Amino acid sequence: MFFDSDLLMSALRALTPILLAALGGALCERAGVFNIGLEGMMLMGCFTAVTTSWFTGSPWLGVLAAALAAAAYSLILAVGAVTLRGDAVVLGIAMNLLAVGLTSFLLRTVFGVQGTFDDPSLAGLPLVGGFSPLAYLAWAAVAVATLVLSRHVWGLRLRGVGEAPQAAATLGVSPAKYQYAAVLVSGVLCGLAGAQLALGNVTLFSENMTAGRGWIAVVAVMLGRALPLGVLLAALLFGLAEAAGFRLQGLGLPQQATDAAPYVVTLGALFLTTARRRRRTTPAGAVS
Amino acid sequence: MSPVSRRSRRPLQFAALAAGTALLATACNAAAKDSSSEGAKSSGKSFTLVTPDAVGQNEFLKLAVDGVKAAAKAHDGTQKVYESSDTASQQQNVQAAVEAKPDVIVLVGFEFADLVAQQAKAHADQQFLMIDACTTKTFKNVGCAVFREHEGVYLAGAEAGLLSKSGKVGAVDVLDTPQFRRYSDPFAAGARKVAAKTSTSTRFVGGQSPFDDSARAKEQANSLLSKGTDQIMAAAAAGNYGVFEAAKAKGAFAYGVDVNQCVSSPGTVVDNVIKRTDVAVEKGIDQVLGGKAGTTVSYGLKEGGISLTGLEAGVDSSKCVIAQHKDVLTKVKALRDQIVAGELKVDDPAAS
Repeated sequence: MFFDSDLLMSALRALTPILLAALGGALCERAGVFNIGLEGMMLMGCFTAVTTSWFTGSPWLGVLAAALAAAAYSLILAVGAVTLRGDAVVLGIAMNLLAVGLTSFLLRTVFGVQGTFDDPSLAGLPLVGGFSPLAYLAWAAVAVATLVLSRHVWGLRLRGVGEAPQAAATLGVSPAKYQYAAVLVSGVLCGLAGAQLALGNVTLFSENMTAGRGWIAVVAVMLGRALPLGVLLAALLFGLAEAAGFRLQGLGLPQQATDAAPYVVTLGALFLTTARRRRRTTPAGAVS
Repeated sequence: MSPVSRRSRRPLQFAALAAGTALLATACNAAAKDSSSEGAKSSGKSFTLVTPDAVGQNEFLKLAVDGVKAAAKAHDGTQKVYESSDTASQQQNVQAAVEAKPDVIVLVGFEFADLVAQQAKAHADQQFLMIDACTTKTFKNVGCAVFREHEGVYLAGAEAGLLSKSGKVGAVDVLDTPQFRRYSDPFAAGARKVAAKTSTSTRFVGGQSPFDDSARAKEQANSLLSKGTDQIMAAAAAGNYGVFEAAKAKGAFAYGVDVNQCVSSPGTVVDNVIKRTDVAVEKGIDQVLGGKAGTTVSYGLKEGGISLTGLEAGVDSSKCVIAQHKDVLTKVKALRDQIVAGELKVDDPAAS
């Protein structure tokens, strides 16, 4: 009764944008760039997706434009952190703040409204088998990222760049090139996450509509130890905890308590995984 | 304090936002617009309205402008409207209004609470009237108009009770606090008043950004819909649009707040609990000029400060579903008359 198909669907819908963004974050993490600008990139994606879909009438062009716009936006991090060696954390926070301000400003300029742009004729993404096509893309991206990171030469070099940039450079692998690529791909993925949120989960744009999903993605990266599968599990955990939280409200638990559900689950998972890792760590030292 | 569609961000966020976009914002900062002022010859009574946002298509603020115009006409005076676009221009506009020394400065929204408190202290002979908010401390020269939203929500609940086929109604609210429960508890009470067996349920959006998160509000609505709820009160600020989407997808119905939200989802939104800011502005000004400055007055169904789109003129062109249910409106009007006459009392969740 409590765990039924509705709950699972709700969890999976909540999962998609977080998963896409978190995969991007994981790639950056692997390449040695700490990306906490996921939230901002995602919000840029939301706005671009809605604007493009509105003016062209095609949600697909909206998705494409969102990916490109967020990738362009991610250049701030790439140039700032890789080329100019700036602090990625500061850059990421700045990107998140700028995205909120910029999209609110553009919302007023482009649509002449404040708060929310919503119109019955705004075209959203169609559902395929109950889910947005981007949901399937997100699952496929997990598989692709896993394969590339573990088997393909790009993935191995990317990891090398992240773990020992000087060693990689000695071998003729340009760390900057791989880091740029990782940041740009994370931009594309966050753009897709934004498009999914604004044209899939709902069909509208409202100021700050990402509402912390980018931050949850950052936590999912850490919790999943930047492994695509780990990230998937972490994001799934969040989705389930959130959907279960909504249900618990129905059973009479106060909202303040159910709000805490995803965070309690995170803390629990964090304790469990670190405890297990500790036990496994041998004097020889495990390389993750 | 109201979960309004027009205010999807909190002041704090806005401060951060303003800092983040200082460069961009300068362009619109200068737009402390003095959009309208009428003939100089008059009885000498002058009123200035300061809005927190651009008026534009914002019905809530348009009504406030109507109110101050009506007051100017009634008192044979003049009026000015200062439209703000952000926190910086709100401050500039309040300053400009104070320097012009009109008889009454009218301010709409909680955004002005702190600014008014500062100015009221510094300019003890200037009269202020706050709409839909109040300063935390009371001042002799600050009058406040607040709304009894729960009375309107109760009537919306009655409509839901009469229209529900499943016998299940629910509400998606912003946060579980007494003030916001004004949008959910009376909805349940109203539904049970007309259909005693109605089962009711409330979901609170919560989370990190309860006012902005339409995707989360939509999922909350979905969790109500999956339990068979077919009438949902939407009081989730920007989340309302998510609630409407969820209801539309399942062929269920929703109720909006503050302004006519039927237009954003025709065929899904049944009715809206609206705030007549014009009534509050006009009566508030009368009250200040009538020597009752510095008092807080609450506006409900009786004063005409709270109403439903369905009970107002123009319901037929409102795109609201309720326009097709005249029989329901007749019953709701009877309930309203009982509340106005004091025969029926709506419990206020925020009463302390």
